[in-house]
Amino acid sequence: MSLRSHFGVLRKAAVRRDIKIRQKVADSELVRQAYRYIIRNETLPPRVRQQAQLNLNSFDIHSRPTSIRNRCSETGRARGVFREHKLCRFQFRLKALSGLLPGVKKAVW
Amino acid sequence: MALPLKPRLLKLQELTCSLFNTVYNPTSAHTGNKILKQRLIGPSIVNWYPTKMIKLKRISDMFPDFNLVDQDEQRRLDDIARRKRRGKGAPKKGHGRRAVVAASKKK
Repeated sequence: MSLRSHFGVLRKAAVRRDIKIRQKVADSELVRQAYRYIIRNETLPPRVRQQAQLNLNSFDIHSRPTSIRNRCSETGRARGVFREHKLCRFQFRLKALSGLLPGVKKAVW
Repeated sequence: MALPLKPRLLKLQELTCSLFNTVYNPTSAHTGNKILKQRLIGPSIVNWYPTKMIKLKRISDMFPDFNLVDQDEQRRLDDIARRKRRGKGAPKKGHGRRAVVAASKKK
């Protein structure tokens, strides 16, 4: 286990940023979805839909769900992260070999 | 008199929709219901990273009446005290090796 993520002493700046973004996305999600519904609803008057479009665009750029990056929960690595275990490939290997991931077994044939 | 096929089918559809509580939309206009059906991802997104582990020191600082003892910290302090008694403690500021060397050079 890495001390970093466990004690929260040294989190990577990118991870801290990602946590912030996640919080923003979660906070604004409901309102954003409401605006998106209005925009997609063609039975509503065009003026209302246009206003909804403008309002949606006025949100913080980091409230968009696409600005979230799934990072390794141990090391903060952004690439090669398994979604199921929230780990990058090397941390996944280390943990799996030490038997910390239930149900994961090294293939032998 | 029987209605022609298409209106009858539409009527059937309307009835089905009312029975199964679905939206009757014969012209298949875009109503945006797709978005309302989507699951909110917020709760699962926020919990991606593990929460920080709370240290004992923070708890003992918050509740000083409890007199909680951090065994590791206590062991460390005992160790330092023991070393000091034997004269092996850390030097005071300005009495370290570097400071002594610098002082001798000045002379």
